[in-house]
Amino acid sequence: MRHFLFPALGLLALMPQLAAASETPSPDKSILRVNVSNQPHNFALPWQKRQPGSKQGLGALLDGGRVLVTAELIQDSSYLEFEVASSGKKLTAQVATVDYEANLAVLVPKEKPDDFFTGLVPFPMSGNPPQKGDRLEVWQFESNGTPVTSPIAFETARLGRTFLEGSYFLQFEANGAVNYREGSFTLPVIRDGHLAGMLLSYNSNDQVATILPFPIIKAFLDDAADGEYAGFASFGIKFAPTLDEQLRTYLKLGDQKGGIMVTGVMPDTSAARAGLKEGDVLLQIGEHTLDARGNYQDPTWGLLAMGHLVKGAHPVGTALPLKISRDGQPMELTLTLARKAARDFLIDPYVFDRGPRYLILGGLVFSELTRTYLEAFGNEWRDRAPFELVYAVQNPEKFARDGRKKLVFLAGALPSQSTIGYEGVRGAFIEKVNGQVINDIKDLSAALTRPVDGLHTIEIDEVPYTLYIDAALAAADNQTLLPQRYRITELQKLE
Amino acid sequence: MVTRGNHHRMPSYRLVLLAASVLLAPPSSLRAEAPAKTNSLGQQYAGIVRIENAAIQPDYRTPWNGARPAGGTGTGFLIGPNRFLTNAHVVSNSTRLIIRGVDDSTPHLAKIEFIAHDCDLALLSLEDPRPFEGVAPLPLDDTLPLLDSEVVAVGYPVGGDRISVTRGVVSRIDFRPYSHSGVDQHLAIQVDAAINPGNSGGPVMQGSKVVGVAFQGYSGAVAQNVGYIIPGPVVARFLEDIKDGTYDHYADLAIAIFPLQNPAMRRALSLPENGMGVLVAHVDSGGTCAGVLQRGDVLLEIDGQPIASDGFIEFGGERVNMNEIVERKFTGDRIKLTYWRAGAEAATEVTLKRLTSYLMQANLYEKRPEYVVFAGLVFQPLDRNLLSTLNLTDDNVRYFFNYFGPRELSKERSQPVILTQVLPDAINTHFDGVGGKMVDTINGQKITRMSDLTSALEKAEGEFIKITLVGEGRPLVLDRARAAAASTRINTQYGVSEPSFLEP
Repeated sequence: MRHFLFPALGLLALMPQLAAASETPSPDKSILRVNVSNQPHNFALPWQKRQPGSKQGLGALLDGGRVLVTAELIQDSSYLEFEVASSGKKLTAQVATVDYEANLAVLVPKEKPDDFFTGLVPFPMSGNPPQKGDRLEVWQFESNGTPVTSPIAFETARLGRTFLEGSYFLQFEANGAVNYREGSFTLPVIRDGHLAGMLLSYNSNDQVATILPFPIIKAFLDDAADGEYAGFASFGIKFAPTLDEQLRTYLKLGDQKGGIMVTGVMPDTSAARAGLKEGDVLLQIGEHTLDARGNYQDPTWGLLAMGHLVKGAHPVGTALPLKISRDGQPMELTLTLARKAARDFLIDPYVFDRGPRYLILGGLVFSELTRTYLEAFGNEWRDRAPFELVYAVQNPEKFARDGRKKLVFLAGALPSQSTIGYEGVRGAFIEKVNGQVINDIKDLSAALTRPVDGLHTIEIDEVPYTLYIDAALAAADNQTLLPQRYRITELQKLE
Repeated sequence: MVTRGNHHRMPSYRLVLLAASVLLAPPSSLRAEAPAKTNSLGQQYAGIVRIENAAIQPDYRTPWNGARPAGGTGTGFLIGPNRFLTNAHVVSNSTRLIIRGVDDSTPHLAKIEFIAHDCDLALLSLEDPRPFEGVAPLPLDDTLPLLDSEVVAVGYPVGGDRISVTRGVVSRIDFRPYSHSGVDQHLAIQVDAAINPGNSGGPVMQGSKVVGVAFQGYSGAVAQNVGYIIPGPVVARFLEDIKDGTYDHYADLAIAIFPLQNPAMRRALSLPENGMGVLVAHVDSGGTCAGVLQRGDVLLEIDGQPIASDGFIEFGGERVNMNEIVERKFTGDRIKLTYWRAGAEAATEVTLKRLTSYLMQANLYEKRPEYVVFAGLVFQPLDRNLLSTLNLTDDNVRYFFNYFGPRELSKERSQPVILTQVLPDAINTHFDGVGGKMVDTINGQKITRMSDLTSALEKAEGEFIKITLVGEGRPLVLDRARAAAASTRINTQYGVSEPSFLEP
């Protein structure tokens, strides 16, 4: 039995009572309802959270009282609980590890579980790769707790997008009829008593189920086992296929077969550190040659996009030899797989479970630009959000400069004494405040301690280019108007 | 609030489209002409005519094709011997104009003498002036009517074929966006008389005098009984401008101003707390005030009129937008400015110029779309017509469109070239997903306008033509020898009658 982890609490004494490992998993003993109260932060009014909502999903019981769910289920959760479907017994839970890119999370009991897990049977973490036509089962419950099993047939493995834009992982596709039951956000998929994956989506028109497969789950759990989760690597390139003979001749590929053209290398990524450059043709990763579309022959899964070699097949830290062609010359590079975490981007691609960093001065609301801030404008955010912010998210390299960690911007002005006349200014980036260059929200906070002659001077990149705020008046607004009328309890959140 | 010069630049073109709709009636194919009959109505309104415009709509999707027939009807009125005033939008893109009198079944061919898209006015004449000889022109009043005074709108709106008269009062006089160009703003009178499609170009009368020209309504669901008319001073300016035989357009201070209402901002600029002055936030480097004003200056007076901190002045006993001073002047006129810089007052005089970079965001008329088709790649210059017809959403394209004037991107690329589509052929079959992006370079040469494109493509150097697009890492590589042959083949197959059209 795997060591039971309580990294936050360190309560190793709370080993739960689980049934003998020899017993075969079954729906009523191996999957739990997971009830979630979600409450995203309000990015438009960053000092408060939105109205809470609820989600219900199913989790797969692992050894040590851990429960596996998709990250999407527990995103921005304020409260979590496990529920035994048959008995209705409940237990408050918390997140032990979450990876929003891979869309996986491990939950554990928040306090001593007593006999909650007694009689339950965890899934063993092993299994063989399925073959085309193999029977998988989707497990769920009727609302009264009766187990429901839907058989589906494994079709293929390929790379697919998770719920985050630009995040691609190995996924299974399977065919068959699955009837969704009430409150089944994500469903465990089982093969021969082993966890084969988590059902992500199901298209009832063509009866295709998309499954987050066990190889990714296993990589996630192995990584988390030591209590320090490293996450999946990010390659950091943009690329184009080289199917066009004109392009191949231009790239001096001669009689080389396959390969993809590197059309962009993101800073501080595995690719940048390996020395890959725009215009290189990537021919081989490890022992796998790439075809002109960027696919390779995977020994297990057949033809697969090369992304799996970076995210999934190998953990962070693995060194993979690369074969490339640069200006017609063959070269070898070493790709050491590394992760670029969301917080290390100039513009965070996502922010969950916490609100944005912000600072309020008199009524001017400053924040650090994240993609999540823009997405709060709704599905039409590209048209509805201030254009320059949208442009920055699509072209971050145009806003990068030495020392700049985040893009601090003026989100708007709450009407107050000190912001009179500034109501229409919004969506502008902050260049300098009181003469100090602003590289993140902490710089802003520091600069605002040094007003000159009682005035704060705020340089922005839009009309009117410079805003002046009366320091004493802003302090008064901060002390009275903002807490009393706008009910802003925290005037800044810098961490 | 940001105002620039005498035109108010709308940062978002959608806003204008939503806010106002021009009043062109759709063509009615089944029009039963009443037999000609004289009555008192006919005599009273003999100078008020119906204008039928057979127009063409240029095809930006297949720019080598001829334009599609379109058109509609509006109203016009006689203001002098063989001079008919109407709206520019009534007669835009026309191939044939017909004028009919009040109770006159005879079509009379007309032509455009002058057209001003920036203030939505046009002057027409009849090919044969005789039918209206002897008809009394309608006298124009070049002053503003009083609020709450009664007005009568006369014209040929939808809902019938014969002349229509509606009555209302002057509700408001203010600067408004003129939706015909989409980027200009002038004085307009809001009335509560029913003004409907087809009324456009018709006179709005007070007694026997014309106080305005009906031109647009309000299509938003939030307002009711709102119609707009072009007031006498704007009409008078148009007629004055064309006296020398050409229309010279409105001139512009070409600055962005910001109201100075924040006490801290006033203090930082060492300004007294007297509620006067507006901040100069941007000065267009090719415009009227270039080299004279600079960012951070405070405009205090314009032609001797003190400017309040919200950008308004006292003018003719009314509080009006300071741009009203510029509105009444012409290109080449001088204008006196008093400004505040570094704690001291200074005075200067500038010569008014027209600003053209803002036309990027304007609706354009009487224009044949420019294009180049090469190896199946269709290149077209960026303008509002192209952007809205093709619904271009690429961020770099929108960046150039939005900031072309405001950030003077026109200096970087005076006529951004867009690869709008690829006509599929063996030579370009792998060029997927590139339509709608902006051309950056061809064989290393930066493409700043359409003529750069043609010269770069014509240069016969090297084995390849390498085209790079802004925001796209993948170059488009064409084998030069094959591309020439492919061009001929593709143009034949797709019916591209001419490989290019560029304005001389």
